[in-house]
Amino acid sequence: MSVTASLPPEQLQKAVTRSRTVSATRWRILVRTPGRVISLVIVTGFVLMAITGPYLYPKNLPINANDIYAPPSWAHPLGTDFEGTDVLALIVTGARYVLLAAFIAAIVTLVIGTAAGLIAGYYPRSTGRPIMRVTDFILAIPGLPLLMVLATIWSFGSPQQMGLVLGITGWGGIARAVRAQTLSLRERGFVEAARGLGLPGRRIIGTEILPNVAPYVSMNLIMQVTGFIYIEVGLFFLGVVKYSSSNWGVMLNNAVFQADALTNTRALSYLLSPLICILLLTIALVTLANVGDEIFNPRLRKI
Amino acid sequence: MEEPRLKLTRWIAVKIVTGLIMIWVVASAMFFLLRDLPGNPAEARYAQLIMHGATPQQAQLETAAMFGFVPKQPLIQQYGHYMWQLLHLNLGQSIAETGVPVSHIVFSAFPWTVILCLSGVLASFLIGVVLGVAAALRRMTKAGDGITWFGALINGIPTYIIAILLFYVFTTEWAIFPQGGTVSIEYTPGWNAGYIGSLITHAILPVTAYTLSAVGAWVLTTKSSVISVLGDDFILASELRGIRPLIVARYILRNAMLPLFTILAIALGLMFSGSVFIEDVFNYPGLGQQMLTSLTTDDYPVLSGAFIIIIVAVIAANFLADLAYPLIDPRVRRS
Repeated sequence: MSVTASLPPEQLQKAVTRSRTVSATRWRILVRTPGRVISLVIVTGFVLMAITGPYLYPKNLPINANDIYAPPSWAHPLGTDFEGTDVLALIVTGARYVLLAAFIAAIVTLVIGTAAGLIAGYYPRSTGRPIMRVTDFILAIPGLPLLMVLATIWSFGSPQQMGLVLGITGWGGIARAVRAQTLSLRERGFVEAARGLGLPGRRIIGTEILPNVAPYVSMNLIMQVTGFIYIEVGLFFLGVVKYSSSNWGVMLNNAVFQADALTNTRALSYLLSPLICILLLTIALVTLANVGDEIFNPRLRKI
Repeated sequence: MEEPRLKLTRWIAVKIVTGLIMIWVVASAMFFLLRDLPGNPAEARYAQLIMHGATPQQAQLETAAMFGFVPKQPLIQQYGHYMWQLLHLNLGQSIAETGVPVSHIVFSAFPWTVILCLSGVLASFLIGVVLGVAAALRRMTKAGDGITWFGALINGIPTYIIAILLFYVFTTEWAIFPQGGTVSIEYTPGWNAGYIGSLITHAILPVTAYTLSAVGAWVLTTKSSVISVLGDDFILASELRGIRPLIVARYILRNAMLPLFTILAIALGLMFSGSVFIEDVFNYPGLGQQMLTSLTTDDYPVLSGAFIIIIVAVIAANFLADLAYPLIDPRVRRS
C-alpha cells in the first residue's frame, strides 16, 4: 500500500501539486539558459543516433575507390574516408559503440562505486578500511597505461567488454565521493534516530543514506561518463584495441595516422567530424552536470 | 601521551609500507601477466632458442635474462627469481631490440615524460590557481561565471583533441612550431644556444597541451576551496578587526591551498594517462610512446617494465605530497 493512497483527498491534492512544482522547478532550471537547451538537444540527438544509427545504413557501408578523401558535397555532406565511405554514415553508425560502452561503464561504476562508498563510509573503522585501501590503490594507478597493459591479455573490443573494463577500473572516484558524503550523513540526527530505533545497518544505508547521496552520485556519474568517452575513444585513437566495427576513435586513428590529416588538408573533414562529435558530446554533458549541481544545491540557484 | 615526533615517524612508516605493498602487488601482477600471456612468449622464446641449437641450460639463462624467470622451473621459483631481479632493478631485456636491457630503454624515455609532465603541472597549477581565486572572488559576476565555465569545459575536453588541434593549427595551418620530435637534427647536442632553443621550441606545444588538459581541474578545485574558506568565521573576524586586505588574502590562500595539495598526486596520475596521447601526437619519445611501441611490437618485458616504473613514480610522488603536507599545514603537524 502506498503512502499517498491513505491520505485524505485535499492533502493528496497538495502532495501532487508539490511534486509538480518540484519537477517544474527542475525543468525551469534545466532550460534556464539557451546553452542548456542546446546541450539537452545535443545529448538527446546523440542518444537517438546511437539507438537508430545502425538501422539507417546497410551493415557493410559501400566503398568507392574512385572517390577517396572527397571534400564535403551534397552526396557526402562530411566528405569520404580513405576507402571512399561516406563520413556521415561512419559517424552515425559509430555513435552506438561510443555511447553503449560509456553507458555500461557508468552502470558498473554506479553499482560498485556507490556500494563501496556507502559501506566504507558507514563502517569507517572495520570493513571500511580495507575497502578504502583498495579504492586508493585503484585511484593511484594511471588508467590509460593500465588499460594498455590489460589489452595484452584481453582484447576488450566489443562495447560490452569495453564498458565492463572501464567500469571495473574506474569506480574509485565515485566510491571516494560517496564515502565522504556518507561519513558526514551518518552523524546527522535522522541517521542517529534510525540507529536508536535499532534498525539494521543494511536498512539504514539503503533507506536513509542512499536517497541522500543519490543526487550527488548522479552528478559525479555524468562527469565520469565524459571521462569514459575520453578513454575509450582514446584507446581506439591509439590503435591498441582490436575492433570489429568502426567507431569515432577508429576514425580519428585512421585520419591522423593513415590519412596524415595532421600535416595536410586533404582529409580535414574526415579528421574534424569525429573530433567535433566528441567535443559536442563532452561539452553538452559537462553543461548538464552543472545543471544537476544547481538542482541539488539550492544555494547555487538563480531563480 | 605519545611523543609527536614518534607519531610522525610511525605515520611515515605506514605510508612507506603502504606504498611498497602497492608496488609489490603491481609487480606480482606483471609477473603473472608475463608468464600467462596468450601465446606464452617466454616458452616460445625458450623453444626458439632450443631450435637454434642452444643447450637447455643456455636457453634457460637467456630466457631468464629477458623475462626475469626461468620458464621450466616450478612456479614459486619463477616468482622468486623474478622478484629478486626486480629488487636489483633488473627489468629484463627487450624482445624487439634483442638484448638491450629494459631499464636502459625505460630510463632513456623517462626524462622526456617527466620534464614535460612537470612543466605542465607547474604551468597549469599557477594559471589554474590564479584563475580559480579570481573566479571565487568574482563569483557573482559574469567574469567569474565565465572562468568557471571555461574551467569545467576545458576539464572535460579529451587530451588528444587538444593535442590534435594544437598540432594542426600551429604546425600545419600556421607553421610556427616544428612538427613533432624533441629537437632538430641539425644541432649538435650540448650546451649551445641552437640546441637548447630547438629543444624548447619542440617542447612548447606538448607542454601547452599538458597545461590545457590539467588547468580546468585546478580552476574548479581552487574556486570551491577558496569559497569555502571565505565563509569561515576567522576571515570575517579578521576583516572586522580591520586587518589589511593583503594579509586577509594571505590567510585565505594559506587555507585554501591545502585541499589542492591532496589532488596533486591524482593530477600526476592523470598526467601519465595524458602523456600517451600527447607523445603519440607530437611524436615525443617519452614513456607513453615507448609503451605504445612495445604494445604494438609485442615487446612485453618493456611494456611491463615501463608500467612498473610509472607506478613507482606515481607512488613516490604521492608519498612526497603526503610528506610535504605537515610542512604546509601546522594543524596536521600538531595532531
